[in-house]
Amino acid sequence: MRMIVKRIALTVGFIIAGLIVSAQSAKDLRINEVLIKNTLNYEDNYGERSAWIEIFNSAYNKVNIGGCYLTDDISNPTKYRIPKNDPGTSIPTRYFVIFWADGKTTHGTFHLNFVLDSTSRVVALFEQDGKTLIDSVSLPDSKANISYARKEDGTGTWQEMVKTTPEATNTTIDEVSPGQKFAKADPFGIGMAMVAMSVVFIALILLYIFFKQFGLFNVRKQKEKIEAIAALEGKTIVHEEISGEVFAAISTALYLHETEQHDYESAILTINRAAKNYSPWSSKIYGLRQTPQKESLNTKLKR
Amino acid sequence: MESSNTFFSFLLENLQQFMSYTSFANITWGHMAMICVGLAFIYLAIAKEYEPMLLVPIGFGIIIGNVPFFPGLQVGIYEQGSVMSYLYFGVSQGIYPPLIFLGIGAMTDFSALISNPKLLLIGAAAQLGIFGAYMVSLQLGFSPEEAGAIGIIGGADGPTAIFLSSKLAPNLMGAIAIAAYSYMALVPVIQPPIMKLLTTKKERLIRMKPPRQVSKLEKILFPIMGLLLTTFIVPSGMPLLGMLFFGNLLRESTVTKRLADTAKGPLIDIVTILIGVTVGASTQATTFLTTQSVMIFGLGAASFVVATFGGVMFVKIFNIFLKEGNKINPLIGNAGVSAVPDSARVSQVVGLEYDKTNHLLMHAMGPNVAGVIGSAVAAGILLSFLA
Repeated sequence: MRMIVKRIALTVGFIIAGLIVSAQSAKDLRINEVLIKNTLNYEDNYGERSAWIEIFNSAYNKVNIGGCYLTDDISNPTKYRIPKNDPGTSIPTRYFVIFWADGKTTHGTFHLNFVLDSTSRVVALFEQDGKTLIDSVSLPDSKANISYARKEDGTGTWQEMVKTTPEATNTTIDEVSPGQKFAKADPFGIGMAMVAMSVVFIALILLYIFFKQFGLFNVRKQKEKIEAIAALEGKTIVHEEISGEVFAAISTALYLHETEQHDYESAILTINRAAKNYSPWSSKIYGLRQTPQKESLNTKLKR
Repeated sequence: MESSNTFFSFLLENLQQFMSYTSFANITWGHMAMICVGLAFIYLAIAKEYEPMLLVPIGFGIIIGNVPFFPGLQVGIYEQGSVMSYLYFGVSQGIYPPLIFLGIGAMTDFSALISNPKLLLIGAAAQLGIFGAYMVSLQLGFSPEEAGAIGIIGGADGPTAIFLSSKLAPNLMGAIAIAAYSYMALVPVIQPPIMKLLTTKKERLIRMKPPRQVSKLEKILFPIMGLLLTTFIVPSGMPLLGMLFFGNLLRESTVTKRLADTAKGPLIDIVTILIGVTVGASTQATTFLTTQSVMIFGLGAASFVVATFGGVMFVKIFNIFLKEGNKINPLIGNAGVSAVPDSARVSQVVGLEYDKTNHLLMHAMGPNVAGVIGSAVAAGILLSFLA
């Protein structure tokens, strides 16, 4: 038995480890935007302007780019190996990193050992084996401060962008709104109606299932409890259906009671327990100032 | 003599300037029409007692918002820096609706729903009005965002309508809020004919089992599980659903009585006053009296009709699958549109017309509060798709 449990635990462990490894795949990385002639654009931490390459993590999990290769020459895929141990190389979900193509590797992990200029024709990203191509882009003749970027992050076609977006989404606010996109795909709103109604139903069906099952469990428990008490006292339980009028009468009486409209029978004395909820806010013990104590003459003499 | 002449001309000039600042100099037919609308709201609230808690502040707000003034004096609700604009900030940024939901949660007893959870499904079916109005609005040329905001009128929930329209179509918020609250007040007029039309006499006489007693544990679990199950599916509905269920937990936990009392008492009263007056004041004739507003009112009425239809028809279809004795009276289907507690009251009144001893109120409260959850979920979906 213990062996079986161990095997199951090992299998589950391997599956989880496998999932984690596969989830960390660098295949989800995409070259997202490239700027070659940078004269007025984004500055690096040293206050210098140079060409930059933006990489986008299109996955819905973190991906570590450390160990992958960036190059401007397809025939030399291992031109720049991105250092592995820099925590900055771990790219969060749907996020971006910038590499500076300035040839100044002494400036840090994100500074490449090659320079992009007007003669550069390609940028490519290779996997950690230095052979498998992840993504590449052929660069057109570039104009100063105009980047070459995907229309949509990670997937779209490439275009020139006057409004560059380093370390930010390429889908700028000038683009079509989500509502317009939705209406374009669903001009009559039938899709929206069906999807939305289904979601409303699913949400409320889940609530229904939970409380139906919990209610049944609760009723069964209550029944068992009542039966146990009845059995102890030797009584028989009679199931009696209460009419709507009784409920209405009780509700009316409660309403009158709550709104204090019931006390016209002056002969009846009603005693209510006056419960004062304790709160440290109203407690004298926790008061900000101590109440001044009168010192008696004896106390003064004792001192 | 000359100095007195100068003085008089100075006085006359200032008097003329003062006259140009008065409302008499700036009034238009639109302002007068809107002031009449405000007065009508106040009349309905006081004389007919139609939703007085809402219609009195809104009606008065309409009058405030339509007192004509010279632009630039920082008095109008749309003028930056004016007091009214600060109060309106809570509406335009969607702050007041979640606070109202907190109070609603603290007021609401979900026992009827917990004891018969299948009534939840009626609250889902009645949201049909929202999406019916969305489809028609799209065809009438409204943008998808505007169509979504107009559609939510069918949810028959004022705070939800304000919340969603402030996010999707702030330009239409005044008209949407007024339409939503007006139709909520008119629920006793709109719903009964549809309910009677869609049901047979036999169905109207269905007697439902009295609800069972609900344990304290169930009542405490409801807001917690309700929050988790709904917001995990529609996180964008969190501001409304979170506050609704939080308010309910304050009530049901029984250990936070003071907080629950504040939420359902002074807090909701303050926010209701602010939301009512500012929404009313946002209906300045210059921005409100448009053909779009008229269309919104028409669409709002249609969405209420469709929502009622959806709720009643769902019960009729649902009854086919239920055993004899477990059947639901379709007269409580209308209560799924929310409009708490008016639509539940309508179920009770119409039910009593056919059987003087058949009290449907407590059964109708189930779909009624389910409708509040359903419309908040629907608002969350619209927000996540269209915003």
